[in-house]
Amino acid sequence: MASTALRAPAAPAPRRQSPLASLLAPVVLLALWQLLCLSGVFPPQVLVPPSEVGRTLSQLAETGELQRHVGESMARLALGFTIGALAGLAFGAAIALSRLAEAALAPFFFAVWQVPVIAFVPMLVIFLGIDEQFKVAIVVLAAFFPVALAAFDGVRGVPGAWLEVARVYRTRLPDLVLRILVPATLPAVVTGLRVALTRAWVVLIAAELLAADSGIGQMMEMGRQMFRIDVVLAGVVVSGVIGFLLDRGAKAVERRASRWRTA
Amino acid sequence: MKALLARGWVRAVIGLVAPALFLIWWQVQALSGGAHALAFAPLESVGAAFVELAVQGSLFSDMAATLSRSLSGLAIGGALGIALGVAMAIWRPLDRLLNPLLQAIRQVPLMGWLPLLGLWVGTGQGTELIVVSLSAFFPTLLNSYEGVAGVERRFLEVGQVYGFTPWQRFRLILLPGAMPLILTGLTQGLAFAWIASIASEILLGVGGGLGVTMQLAQMQQRLDIILVAILVTAALGFTINQLFLRLRQHLLRWQAPLR
Repeated sequence: MASTALRAPAAPAPRRQSPLASLLAPVVLLALWQLLCLSGVFPPQVLVPPSEVGRTLSQLAETGELQRHVGESMARLALGFTIGALAGLAFGAAIALSRLAEAALAPFFFAVWQVPVIAFVPMLVIFLGIDEQFKVAIVVLAAFFPVALAAFDGVRGVPGAWLEVARVYRTRLPDLVLRILVPATLPAVVTGLRVALTRAWVVLIAAELLAADSGIGQMMEMGRQMFRIDVVLAGVVVSGVIGFLLDRGAKAVERRASRWRTA
Repeated sequence: MKALLARGWVRAVIGLVAPALFLIWWQVQALSGGAHALAFAPLESVGAAFVELAVQGSLFSDMAATLSRSLSGLAIGGALGIALGVAMAIWRPLDRLLNPLLQAIRQVPLMGWLPLLGLWVGTGQGTELIVVSLSAFFPTLLNSYEGVAGVERRFLEVGQVYGFTPWQRFRLILLPGAMPLILTGLTQGLAFAWIASIASEILLGVGGGLGVTMQLAQMQQRLDIILVAILVTAALGFTINQLFLRLRQHLLRWQAPLR
């Protein structure tokens, strides 16, 4: 499970498309959705047209409710991801660099890793309650494991020859870290960070569905309980757009980080 | 130190130190009577809970429920994923038509579909199965697509030379060529389906399963039961994923070990 579950499946290779053509698809999609609703196949309790979802979104934005939910979700994501990623980096690098640390901690790490992060939710709720701490903690966990593994792989993957060259030149430690270890491990680590960010976002939404007083997940859950299909659909759209932007941003960083390799 | 660490048993013993320390710390917390003492279940009660659930048989019915949910989801999502992935790779208009819709659906966090599905089909086992199927659908779809699209041109050219019919081309070239990635997709799909089963069981709490048991135990503040369920989840998940990896290797034994 280890390696297959971690690596997100590759998306179909991006085809060369003009910006106009790539804009066309969503527009056609929205038009079809609108037409489907206007045709009256689905009653409005089941599916509302995108224009209605847009109206709901702008209403939510006017009252500031949307900004509050998005802001809360993003704040949780940012805090949890930062803590989890930093801890993961430190842990992964430590078990990669020290044989003793690896022998002592790696078996425990890989054992805990077999547990889906979401399965820690009931336990965390008992320990931390359903408040802010719980949601940040679950994001920390979701971010920690992919980053730790990527850092471990990255540091282990530094060619021994590079380190030997550094030794021959009597490179000082700060230089060794900054000029060899960091650039050599950066591509792997950034990929790990991207995977971790996606995972953290997915897990956060799940946690917010379960227990929250704010956030995109909670907005959707409240919408469901009040039979407001427009609010639920607005939440689906917003969470999809945020997920898309997070992924796009992380991929852009990833390309920059590994640019020196291919160049 | 290095020579010592090279020995297997030394490494094994050192590897046990961290879990042992963790367990001791846990036990001390449980017995100390501090703020969270109620939450920390003493280890013997975890053991007792395990025996209790095993004797009752509910542990096994939970395992069976989660497992069958994962495998049903894998069967539904995987079959759709392979069929659509292969079809989209072979027939470009279908790709053009469906790709935007599928990409849009894929952007939404999986559990984000639960409220919508809750309104459409209710918060029952149907919704759980749909989410699990959806989780298995995308890895199989993407890998099958890549597999068929990535079949080497020279194989297809050989087929042309032999005058293959489209069916022969598909059966003898495209399908075997795509098989490694299709199986990769199914292996990933299983891992995702397993996680999605646990997640949807925790969130919806219906239909039985390890996640449902965790959810109920959380309401009753029974950490011992939660821990048993977590341990079983980890062990069972590990086992089925390993079995699937073995199966994949076995099915691909004709393939030269490239990687």
